[in-house]
This record gives sequence, C-alpha cells and structure tokens, in this order.
Amino acid sequence: MSRRTQDNLVAAVLLAVFAGVIWLCQDFGPRARMIPLPLAIFGLILTAIQIVWQNLRSTDELRMHMIAVPAPDSTGARPVPVPESKPAVGRGPSWREEAGAMGVVLVLLALVLLLGPIPAVFLFTGGYFVITRHYSLRAGVIYTAVFTAATYLLFFVALEIQPYHGILAPLFAQ
Amino acid sequence: MLEAIGAGLAALLTPQAILFMFIGVIYGLVIGILPGLGGVVAMALLLPFTYGFEKAATLALLLGAHIATIWGDSVTSILFSVPGSAKGLALCFDGYPMTKQGQAKRALAASATGALMGGIIGAVFLALCIPLIRPVILALGPSEYLMMALWGLTVIATFSEGSLMKGLIASLLGVLVAFIGTDVVTATPRFTFGSEFLMDGISFPVAMIGLFAVSEMMKLAIKGTPIVDRSLVKEVSTVWQGVMDAVRHWWLVVRSSLLGLWIGVLPGVGASVAGLAAYAQAVQTSKTPERFGKGAVEGVIAPDATMGANEGGGLMPTLAFGIPGGESMAILLVAFIGLGVVPGPDMLTKNLDLVFSMVWIIVIANIVVTVIGLAICPALARLPTLHANLMVPIVLSVCFVGAYATRSRIEDVVVAAVFGVLGYVMDKYRYSRANFVSGMVLAVMIERNLHISLTLYGKDFLLQRPIALAMLAFVLFTAALPFFRTWRRDRKRALAT
Repeated sequence: MSRRTQDNLVAAVLLAVFAGVIWLCQDFGPRARMIPLPLAIFGLILTAIQIVWQNLRSTDELRMHMIAVPAPDSTGARPVPVPESKPAVGRGPSWREEAGAMGVVLVLLALVLLLGPIPAVFLFTGGYFVITRHYSLRAGVIYTAVFTAATYLLFFVALEIQPYHGILAPLFAQ
Repeated sequence: MLEAIGAGLAALLTPQAILFMFIGVIYGLVIGILPGLGGVVAMALLLPFTYGFEKAATLALLLGAHIATIWGDSVTSILFSVPGSAKGLALCFDGYPMTKQGQAKRALAASATGALMGGIIGAVFLALCIPLIRPVILALGPSEYLMMALWGLTVIATFSEGSLMKGLIASLLGVLVAFIGTDVVTATPRFTFGSEFLMDGISFPVAMIGLFAVSEMMKLAIKGTPIVDRSLVKEVSTVWQGVMDAVRHWWLVVRSSLLGLWIGVLPGVGASVAGLAAYAQAVQTSKTPERFGKGAVEGVIAPDATMGANEGGGLMPTLAFGIPGGESMAILLVAFIGLGVVPGPDMLTKNLDLVFSMVWIIVIANIVVTVIGLAICPALARLPTLHANLMVPIVLSVCFVGAYATRSRIEDVVVAAVFGVLGYVMDKYRYSRANFVSGMVLAVMIERNLHISLTLYGKDFLLQRPIALAMLAFVLFTAALPFFRTWRRDRKRALAT
C-alpha cells in the first residue's frame, strides 16, 4: 500500500470520527454541544481539505519550517557546514513489524486483563527475554523475578494501590 | 514577593521534597540516558505517582526528572549519535565526532555545564518575569482567557512540526477527546456510549502514558536490534576540560540561553526547534565555522544552554496563561490539574509560593544534575551497548501498571493500550502528538471560560469585552497567516516558472 493511500485511510478514519461527533452532538442540549459541535464541524472541513490537498499536491508543501539553516549562497553570507554525523535513518517498518509491535502491546494487555498486573508483568517480561533470546533462561528468570518484585513493592506496597486479580481469578479461587 | 520566594524555598526543604527531587533527578537521568526514551516519556510515567503528596514535593519529582532528562538526552546524542528525542538532534552534529576523537568526557562535561548555566539563566528570567507579568494576568477576565486558549490552540498547530493542517486536526481531536465524560456544567454525559467508566472521562495521565510511552515502546519493539552498539575509542580528554570550555564560552552560553528563553516563551515551539536554532546561531557567530560538524565544543555547549534555558521560558506561558510551551509543559499542566492547581491569576496570587518553588526546583535540580552528571561522565564514556529487547518489556510493563495505578481501574489499562496505538499512528502519519495533548489540556480552559463569559456578559460578551474582541482578531490573523504565506510563496514560484 502506498504512503498516499495510507495517509488517505488515516484521514478517512478521522473524517468518520468528526462526522460521528457531529451526529452524537445532536442528542446534547445547546450548552453541552456549544463547543464540541463547531469544533467537530471545523475538524471535518479541515480533514476534507487535507484529503483533497494531499491528493493534489505534495504534503511537504503544507509544512511550516520555523528554521531554515541557510544554504551557501553568493551574497557573502557564511555557509553552515553540513554535519559529518547524522543520526541513522533507516527504512520504514514493514506491516509485519508493525503488527508484531501491536501484538506485543495486545499480549501484555490480555495478560493484565486475564491474570492481573503482577503475574502479567512476570510472564510478559520473562517471555520477552526468553523469546528474543536476550538472556539465557536462568538469567532471564532471575532478572524478571527481581523486576516483578520491584514493581510489586513500588506500586502495591509503597503506593498501596488496590490489586486487581484478573478475569481468571474466580477460576483460581475454586 | 520576597515572602513568596522564601516560602517557595522552604516548601522544598521538607524531607519529602528533598527525597522526591533526588528520586526525580536520578530517574530522569536513567530514562534520559536510555535512547528512545525522552523527557516526555519520563514525565508521562511519573504522572501516576503525583497524587496524594505535598504539591512542592510532587513538582520537585516531575520537574527534577524533566530537567535531568534534558541532559540525559544529550548523553545519547553525544555518545551514540542517537537522540533520545528530537531536541537532542543538534548535539549529534559535534558531540558524536568529539566522542569518535576520544573526547567524550570533555563533550559530556561541556554539555552538562552549558545546560546548568542555561538552566540558571532560565530560572532567573522566570523569577524576574513574575512581577512584570502579574498586573497583566490579573487584568484579564474569562473572555480574554478564552481567546488566549484559542490562540494557544491555533499557534501551537501553526508552529508544530509537520503539516499545519494535520497539526490543527490533531489539536481539534485532542479537544474532542477531552470532552468524553460528564459535562461539568450541564451534567450531560458526552460520547460515553452508556459506559459507566467513560462517565468519569479519559484520565489525562493514562492518555499521556499511552500516547508517548507505549507508542515509543512500539517503535522500539519494531527496531528489535541494539539501539546503540559502538566500539570504544581511547579517551584523551578530561571532565575539567569540558567544564572550562563552557565557562570560557560564557558569551555563547548567554546568547544561546536568551534564544532558548525566547523560544520557550512562544507556545508550541518546543526544545527541538531550540536546539537546532542554537546550533545555527553558534555556527553563524563563530569566527571558525569550518570546525563545526567535525567536533567543535561550541556545537555542544550552545544547544545544551538553549535547552536548559528553554524550561524557564516554557514555564512562563504555562503558569501564567495555562498555554503549554511544548509536550513536557502540557504534561506538567496535566499534573497541575491533578494537584488542583489552576494556571492563571491564581497561580500568581494564591499559589505564588508554588511558582517560586518551581524556580528553585529548576536551579537546584540543574545543580544536582550537573554534579551527578560530571561524576558519572567517565563511566558513561565507556558505555558500549544498549538493547531494545531489554527496555521494551520493562518500560511497557511499567506503563501498564502505572496506567492501572492512576485510578485503580483496569479499564485504564485498555485506554493506555488504545492511546498507545493512536500515538504510534499519529507519529507515523505526522499528526502532532504534542498538539493533541495541548488540545486536551486547553479544552477544559476553553469550555470553562466560555461558560463563565456567557454567564457574566451574555451572548454578546465579545462586544462588551473589546480586548477579547481584539484578541479574537489576532487569533484569526495568526491562524490565517501561514496559509497566506504558503499561497504567496506558491504564487511567486508559479510566476518565476
């Protein structure tokens, strides 16, 4: 999928969000919709313009540059040397890599919902170390246990946060 | 005023405040030194810990961490040419060549001393500004504050990185997200879809954790490889050389600091612009510009002094008008809301001692960061490698537990995950996350001041408040100006071809 198509997809989703807000605002009283409604209409118009704009011309043309480092010219102004070292700029991530990253977040989320934060942290961190082979199994388990204990002590002992035992807690209780 | 200065310092001398500042500074240094994690991530992760403690102590934790990350960010730029955030970019240009030449200690020390000097200049500026700006703030009413918030919204979008249109869209989206929940004025549930959880609204700290920390971890998970991996070069410099470099170039420090202050005061123009601007002015004013890009120490001092001073400047519009100077200031505003502190007239009357506490925090935290920084410079210069696979599970776990800890509601973990994905998408397609956050924060200010204005002056409040009307004209002018400039540039280009 080309970058422009992706940009259009994102803009289309935003358009739908603004349209949805306008529709939902109809149920509110005049005072409750006084700010959200005009802002959503403004957002809808801007997004529509953005879609037209990004399909008719380069997105770069809409960018504002606060600082333009002056290029060497013939007016006698001093040129700014091009830095030797620039931070490495790699290729864009593939959809598989992005899905993988999203999967990492979803796995942790699922573990937290099912088991509660502390068991989830232990399983997720340990699993991540083992799967990525960053540490050996033994070292991974030790570091994970230390980190989980630190997290538990900080949040649930020092800060006295009410623990959550997860959706599966009733099963374990039986 | 003198009483407030004294009270501000006294509030920081409690054991809790001192402990919190040290924790904040050490935590900030660690987070800052880890590539990929900048000051915004550091502050977002701290938000769950900001409830239930003394106000001054909480601010010491947050600001201390933030100030420490400024120098921490510089470390990764200098040692690995990997900026922790956009603001560290300028330091790669000369800092990394110095490291390759075996002058890492000198570069790190010059950077820390430059940041300290800049930070102190910024704090002094903030302290001096308070008596000057106080009468102005007290003269403004809710209508003027409404216009100020609208101006903040548009000007932040105008000056943000990337497309102007996308910046405005992100701001509007942030405003609308802030309206999720029960409207405090009419008690109408808005955009809640019947969910009891959404009635309380989206927790700002949770949204920040998702938008910045979770999304940054997604980016690191995609990388998966060592973030930095370098071969060590024999050191030929000393820490003292770096300190003396910063002192010797004091005039460059002053110039860079003033630039940082100015950029900090402008809402929405963050430290990323400040660093590059400082570098450019250092090159332009140097007698030997050809040395830049090859390891000139001035190329390290100038951006750090600017970024140090930027904080003092950035706090001014944040405290006085509630308009955040950048991402980190927006997060600080979220913390203020959590602490029940309202920026604006109250800040310079009832909470003046708190403002001076912040001035003291900037000074003390900068000194502590520099002392620790100089002490650990030799060890940092030998730092060989850091791996994403170590950071992703640890930081992501802290993000999710932190999100849960904010209100002890498991639904907040889902919100953090959703905002994490949203933050990733926004970053990838250049919808500024800073604008989104600013929109969220300013939404409260816009709605509250509009309702107060309507109640006090009626529907034609703008006609009764000429200053507000003039400000509205200014808002429209500043919002239209970039479009006009683009149109004029295009026209010129078309005529030339």
